[in-house]
Formats: sequence, structure tokens, C-alpha cells
Amino acid sequence: MSIPKLEFPPFHLPDEAEALRGEVRAFLKETLPGIQTEDRFASWNTPSPEFSRALGAKGWLGITWPKQYGGSERTFLDRYVVTEELLGNSAPAGSHWVADRQSGPLLLKFGSEQQRQAILPRITRGECYFSIGMSEPDSGSDLASVRTRAEPVPGGFRVNGTKVWTSGAHRNHYCITLVRTSGQHGDRHKGLSQLLVDLKTPGVTIRPIINLAGRHDWNEVTFSDAFIPEDCLIGNEGDGWLQVTSELAFERSGPERFMQNVYVLRELIRVLGRQPAKRANAIVGRLIARLWTLRQMSTAVAGMMQGGKSPAIEASLVKDLGTIYEQDLPEIARTLAESDATTEDDLADFLDIAQYATMMAPSYTIQGGTTQVLRGIVARGLGLR
Amino acid sequence: MDRETRDMLLETAGRFFSERSGKDVVNGVEKGVWPADLWKEIEEMGLPLIAVPEAQEGVGGTLADLLALLRVAGEHAVPVPLAETTLANLLVAASGGKPASGPSTLALVGSDLSLQGNRLSGKVMRVPFASVADRFVSVVGVGGKSTLVVVARDEASVEETPSHAGEPYGTVVFDNTPVEFSAASAVSADRALELAALMRTMQMAGAADKVLATAVEYCKQRVQFGRPISNFQAIQHMLAELASCVAATIASAESASRDADEGGLEEGGSFSIAAAKTQCSDFAHRIAALSHQSMGAMGFTHEHILHHYTRRLWVWRRDFGSEAFWGEKIGQAFAKAGRDAMWPALTESRYAA
Repeated sequence: MSIPKLEFPPFHLPDEAEALRGEVRAFLKETLPGIQTEDRFASWNTPSPEFSRALGAKGWLGITWPKQYGGSERTFLDRYVVTEELLGNSAPAGSHWVADRQSGPLLLKFGSEQQRQAILPRITRGECYFSIGMSEPDSGSDLASVRTRAEPVPGGFRVNGTKVWTSGAHRNHYCITLVRTSGQHGDRHKGLSQLLVDLKTPGVTIRPIINLAGRHDWNEVTFSDAFIPEDCLIGNEGDGWLQVTSELAFERSGPERFMQNVYVLRELIRVLGRQPAKRANAIVGRLIARLWTLRQMSTAVAGMMQGGKSPAIEASLVKDLGTIYEQDLPEIARTLAESDATTEDDLADFLDIAQYATMMAPSYTIQGGTTQVLRGIVARGLGLR
Repeated sequence: MDRETRDMLLETAGRFFSERSGKDVVNGVEKGVWPADLWKEIEEMGLPLIAVPEAQEGVGGTLADLLALLRVAGEHAVPVPLAETTLANLLVAASGGKPASGPSTLALVGSDLSLQGNRLSGKVMRVPFASVADRFVSVVGVGGKSTLVVVARDEASVEETPSHAGEPYGTVVFDNTPVEFSAASAVSADRALELAALMRTMQMAGAADKVLATAVEYCKQRVQFGRPISNFQAIQHMLAELASCVAATIASAESASRDADEGGLEEGGSFSIAAAKTQCSDFAHRIAALSHQSMGAMGFTHEHILHHYTRRLWVWRRDFGSEAFWGEKIGQAFAKAGRDAMWPALTESRYAA
């Protein structure tokens, strides 16, 4: 007996991608100072339609998609570089994030020609934003248990049910919604389908769910006899589970899984001054080494994916390690700043930053697949289940 | 060497280590038995000369070949100074010397070494295999110049201070000791330390790999409450976390090796090596803790092989600079350069400046 060997073949991003990095940096340097956002340090969940449109104008949204749908036909690795530069420079990527990252690719893969032509060019212009309609009050990690029902009626579906944790539904245009189109609740993976739902549809009600940090990102989206036209079915009726799992696999190992709060590390370096104590340097050095390692792992997975492999376990490991790093970071940084910040003012300012980061930290190991779900995937890969 | 040749060599070496460097040999070294036959066969295979150019009667491999071999050696806890000798031979050859046969070791850490004419003075602690190596290789920096020196073991005094993995480490004192060979060094003293740290990261990657495989195999076979304990979710999640720590160890070591090889012997991958040694040393604790927890009392016995690997991880994390040493170096550079230099430096795997 032997277990599959974990491999992370070191991978260099190609020269074209590195050249693109320079362009993206120059663009961000010029554009970001003029963008106002609700967050002091923006990230992939901070919305800014203005910024998304500017990014779209550069051709960097839907960057890998065919030109006929407004894409730039560049590589997956070019996209990787754009993504990590947005995160590394705290750009407000929240408006377009889901559309560019998973909804667009889903439509490209499974959507009808009409859906692609109607939607994808708008996404690439930074004008069309998406929410994800998967979770329900009784379906979180156990997604196959969804109850929202789409009943076939002449010309389409009548939808009833409730989706929750629907980020950005109050400001986005569409929600790709996982529904049961046939069979019963107990049928699990069978009878599920995905619908392209216009969030302005009559019968669709959006109510805020405020998170513990007082932010309104989430919503509850209720369907009461909402009529969804039949041309809004994505892919084949009954293929919803297959499509959803393919959607979840999109870049589990991307830089958004370890760089969401990179501003904490940057600001920590600021408040410790130019000549920290030995011990403080060692602690910062360890944080930097962890971040560097995660980036090496993430680019290695990107390289394997570009080479046509599907390194599922390795990708899950990156998310597991990356989100735990993000969760550790505010706490390590806070305790270090308490003892080693150079001035009282710097400390007070940093504690504000760390407080916010601390409040957000629990979400990192929950969203997009909890740590425990990921570890289940890894355990299966190790042959333990 | 080309990919195919390297893979063949690694496979042969792996098989050889499995057969000839088993549990008894590793335990024997801890009791003070030098495995002379094992070393002789290692030399016959040419492994100590893997990165010595063919023109100097070596195998002609690269630094990357050497490091890949050390990962395999780490996976087998090979209890002889193969790592130290391969690097020492590489440094001697690169500085124009001819590597001698027999085991060598590196006297690098804590170097307040001074060279006067052809005589070396100073003390180096925790020198691996100090009492069994035939000679010590070091790099001494004097006034901006670096000199590589080779000293015969019998010329120096060695105080034995076995490592916690039971390997014959020791404190070496040079007191106006004559050097057997000296030459302008191909690398600085700091660089020699980096390369030694890099060599340990690859051994740690191999050992970490073995720890994961050992724990997974054990949990699949160990039956409690009527079923293999690998069926329990608590065990599955622990092993998944172990896998993540092992993955970080492997990925950081392999990335640093690639960067060092591509960037050249003199300075390639300087930051990556520091980051990798920090990372590998940092996670050694979790790797040991999780693997031992999963294997219960069985893994805590001397009888089982798990400690051959976990004890080495605990020793290797300190060798040639711990996470505190390399982390401080990184932290200092990034503090000096300021926050805005961090991200560009990270994307280029270099120290912030």
C-alpha cells in the first residue's frame, strides 16, 4: 500500500504574465487613489462598480474568454497575475468578483449561446454582477439537500424557496440559483438544476442579513411563485449537481484564499518601524515565509492546472493552509503590535485595523467550503475514506 | 543530468537506502556504531560526488540533482553525512580543490573562525557527524575575501555532543590548527550557510513525506472499536492537517531548490532559502505532534521507526539556522524596506529592498 505523493512542482509564471503584472501595477497606481470605497482596506469582497468598469475597459475581466464574448483570450496564468495584483494592492474587486471568477466561466461551459451572448460581454465590461444562490437555511455544507423548488410551468418554471448568505444580492444583477426541478428532497444529487435568475424578477424578495461586523454583504433571497423563463435554465435540466461541483472547483487554490487580509501584514510592518527588535523581526519573518510558501504552492497548482492536470488534493490543501494563515495573521499581528509598535498613535491605529480583521477572520475558514469539508476531501485523497 | 537520468538515479538510490539503511543501521548509529559498509557502498555509487564536475572526476550533476538526492536520503533517515559530504565536495570542487574520499562535514555555524596564514582558530558548535567525518570544510571570511578551508579531523579537537536524533554531532575547536587545503572560496561564508540550510530543507521534505506515509499506513491498519481508526473522522481530519503541513514543507523546499539552482551557486535563491528554512523549521513541530498523536503509544516507542524521522525534524530545524535565525533576517530586511516594498519583493522571491 502506498499513498499518493503530494507534489508541488515549482512553477514560474511565464514572461507574458509577468509583463502583464507591470501593466496592472501601473494601472492600479494610477486608478486606486481616485476610488472611494466603504472599506479602509479593500479586498475581493469590497464593491466598486467604478473600479470594475475601469478594469473591464483594460480588457482584464473575462480575460481568458473568447473574443466573441468580449474576452481577451489570454491564459489562465495571466488571470492569476491580475488576481494576485488586485489582492496584493487592496483593490476593491467586489462588484465583478463572482461574475468574473465563477459565474462567467460557468455560463461559458454550460450556458446556451443566447445566455453567453447576452451576459458575457457585459461582465467583461465590468457592468454585470453576480451572486451565488446555493446555500439555504437547511443546506450549508450539505448542498445536495436543497429544497428550493422550480416547478415546470408553460414557458418556464415557478420557483418557491429561500436562499441565504447570498452575498451582494442587493446590488448585483443576477443570481445563479441551484433548485430542485424534479424528484424529492431525499433524492440528493438527482433532479437538481441551475437557473439564471434576474434579481429584479417579480416574486423575488431580497432582505439583508447583517454579519457580526455590522456589514451588509449577505442577504436572504426569497422566491414566492417567481416565474423564471425556460431560456434561463443553465445547461441541462437535472445536471445541476455536476455543474455546481465544477463551479466549486474553480480555483480553490487561488490567491484569494490567503491574501484577503494581506493589509494586516503590510500595516504591521509600518507600525513596527524600520528597526524592530530581533524577536519582532523573527515573528514578521515567519509570517512572510508562510505567505511566500502559500504563494509557491498556489502557483505550483496553477502550473499543474495549466498543464492539464487536476490536482484536487493539492488545491484543497492550499485553501486549508491559506485560510488558517489568514485567520492566524490578525492575532499574531495584534499581540506583536501591542508590545512592539513604535508609537502610541501607531498602536491605536493598528489595533483598529486588527480589530476589524479579527472580526472578519471567522468567515475565512467557512466560506467556499469549511475547513472540515476540505479535510474530508483531503482524507479521501489520502485513501482514508 | 537530464530528467530521465536523474529519475533513474533517485530510484536506484531510494531502493538502495531501503535495503541497506534500514532500522537496525539507524539505531546502530545511535549506539555509536559507524556503518562503514553503508558508507563504502554510497561511495561506490558515486553519490558523494553527485555535484562535482566530470572534469574533476565527479558525476557531473547540478545543485538541483544533489538536492533531489538529499530529499530521498531524508525519506530514509540515512544516518551518515551524505548531505554534508555532497555539499562539502561541491564547495571544494567549485573552489578549485579535489574532493577527497571519505565522509566530510561542514563546520559553519557560530563561526568566529579566523585564519592566520595556514592555521585556523575558533570554535564551532553542533557540527554534524563531527566525530566520524574525516575532515571539516568551512568558509572563512577575512577582509571581504572568503577562503575555503579543509581541516583533517585528527588535527582538531572534538567534544562529542550527540544530537537529539542520536547522530554524532559535536563541538569542534580549532586552535592554531594547520589546514590541509585552502583556496579562494567560490562562495562567501554567509552563502555556505545558506546552502547548508537549503540542504536541510530538502532532507526535512523527505522526512516529512515519510512521516505522513507512516501515519496514514498505521491508521489504516490499526483496529480499535472494531474498525480501522482511519474510519474515524477525528483521525481523518488530523491526518489531513498533517498533510497540509507536509505539503508546505515540500513546496517551500522544492521552490527554494529550484531558485538556488537557477540563480547560480553564488547567490541563487537567497531569499527563497531563508523563507523555506523558516517554513520547514516552523512546521516541524506540528508534523511531529500530529503524527505522534495519530499513532498513540506505538509511535512513541523506540521500537517503531517514527522517531527516526520526528527526532531528525526537531534537530534539522535548528541546524544551520532555525526559523528564528532566518525569520529574523527576513523580518529585518522587510522592516528596513518598509511596507510598500513587501508585495513586489514577494512576487519576485527576493528580500525587500
